[in-house]
Amino acid sequence: MMPEQTPISHLVVLPVALPLLGIALTLLVRGNRRVQGLLAFGAMFGAFATSCWLLAEVWISGEPVVFHMGGFPGPFGITLVGDLLSGVMVVMSQLVLAMGILYGTGCRDKCAQYPTFYPLFLALGLGLTGSMLTGDVFNLFVFAELVVIAGTVLTAISDDKKGTEAAYKYFYISTFAAMVLLVSCGCLYASYGTLNMADLAERIAQDPDRPLLPVAIVLFLVSMMVKSAVMPFHFWQPDFHTAAPTPVHAVLSSVVVKLGIYGFLRMTTLLFVHEAETVQTSLVVLGAIGAVFGGLGAAGTYDAKRMLAYSTLGQLGFIVIAVGWNTPLSLAAAIIFAFNHSLIKAAMLMLAGAVGSRAPVKTAEFARIVGLGRTVPVAGLLFVIGGMALAGLPPTNGFISKLAVFRSGLEIGEYAPLIFLAVASLVSLIYVSRAFQLIWLRPIPEGVEPKKQGDLLIAPLVLVSLCLLLGLWAQPLVQLGHDTATWMLEGREEYIRAVLEARDQLFETWQPPGQEP
Amino acid sequence: MELLIAIGIGLMMAVGVYQVLRRNLIRSAIGLIIISNAIHLLLIYAGAYRGEVAPYTTVGAEAARSDALPQVLVLTAIVIAMGGFAMVLGMIYIFGVRYRTGDMDKVDQLKY
Repeated sequence: MMPEQTPISHLVVLPVALPLLGIALTLLVRGNRRVQGLLAFGAMFGAFATSCWLLAEVWISGEPVVFHMGGFPGPFGITLVGDLLSGVMVVMSQLVLAMGILYGTGCRDKCAQYPTFYPLFLALGLGLTGSMLTGDVFNLFVFAELVVIAGTVLTAISDDKKGTEAAYKYFYISTFAAMVLLVSCGCLYASYGTLNMADLAERIAQDPDRPLLPVAIVLFLVSMMVKSAVMPFHFWQPDFHTAAPTPVHAVLSSVVVKLGIYGFLRMTTLLFVHEAETVQTSLVVLGAIGAVFGGLGAAGTYDAKRMLAYSTLGQLGFIVIAVGWNTPLSLAAAIIFAFNHSLIKAAMLMLAGAVGSRAPVKTAEFARIVGLGRTVPVAGLLFVIGGMALAGLPPTNGFISKLAVFRSGLEIGEYAPLIFLAVASLVSLIYVSRAFQLIWLRPIPEGVEPKKQGDLLIAPLVLVSLCLLLGLWAQPLVQLGHDTATWMLEGREEYIRAVLEARDQLFETWQPPGQEP
Repeated sequence: MELLIAIGIGLMMAVGVYQVLRRNLIRSAIGLIIISNAIHLLLIYAGAYRGEVAPYTTVGAEAARSDALPQVLVLTAIVIAMGGFAMVLGMIYIFGVRYRTGDMDKVDQLKY
């Protein structure tokens, strides 16, 4: 019997299917870069529109949208599940991905002219969207591997000569993370006989004492930590992100690292709720160390893009700590922080890249781009607003997200991590103002001829305006964050029921073959 | 038999890790594929250790059948591992052209 699929349940397929269609179409028109870029942007923006629709649908109805691929219900087939958490994450990712492609169309990098640049970019988006929407652990592995391969190729073709080396390093480490995830899948399958997340959550809750379960949890946690570059597994991140082309860097450093955050949230609120305490404690400790370490690394570096890559390490510390506290307020803070950080970080990276593209030889090293900001004063204005957001000053959205994190920490009296976070915030103010002072306030050194043309500033302009808008009118996002946190903490049973509904219907009506009258 | 297979998978893993840790780029790539094969075997035996005959067969219908799902998973994982391995070899080729070496310690421009 086929499960009932309402027209609205097909909505969850579109954010995954549109980038896939885009890959095919952009490969067909590879002769004309302008058409190819516009088509890629159209595909990603269309996917963004459908994911907004999906989020609105889920948010208003309060029910997750479930699609059973090929009509095979529940744990027997592959399911795509759009609940509030995946909805928010997908909207965030696709917004930044669409802006990344928009930046790529106005970008002067040579690698953006390669015929496979846009298809690979769309593949990166496809992998990211798919891994956030899937309801199956093995599918998560497949989509995450797609992200890894697309990201590696995009960095390996970078204009930066060090790109291939950084990509090689990243690929090895990420492949090990993916293998670890695969072993975790094997352990879960051997213990519970299923890989569907809802089914798995139900069975683990019934019998949490299987010997292989702790192994599976640790391996899953490690693979997600490598994905989001949490403190002890961060070593590949600054090199890899610095060597990537600017549009790719903006996406990698803002939304691709959020895949790990999504994994942590799924682990602690759906899959392994009984063992979540240990995971949460380790997340708080590692996040506190990571926040300070990332901040200090950013303050001590010599390259604008590298500074922002280190800053991602620091900011992820804030999110990871909020995930680890696991109260309604702190989970809401994690969602708000993740959303705002994506917009801010992507905008700042694009601005740094746009200034770097004015240098005689494209680079973002402070020593080579001193004073070059004077040729693009608009970027300076945007950088100030983005920098205020990164450091968490009002009236930007960065202030809202830091306020949410600190409020949730004060509510449960966790003062020790808060001290680390306060230090990290202070350091972020220092490195942002240092970068601004070096790039925009110093005079251009003699003998340096800045290029007349640089990267277009449309994408960072849109992102910075969104930052300001979300700072001045923060209510919808804060409300969304709180609703998502409530859903994660209380909607677990409902999630499981919604996914497995079709299976139960099947069991009721199923007749063994040959016994029909 | 199960113990033998478990020891075999462990040995493969050990050989793979040893090869990955060596300085030669090509050896480390081969180590990577050995490790992924060890993990694929592990996945197959996660589903098959109670089974005696292949799934979807009519021969020996009374014997316990292996689970078909891990074999499907492994098929997917093999394809992904193959794609990744091809890409690693491509990158090693680029190193050969740009750095004229197969020694990992000489590919060191990222030393900051």
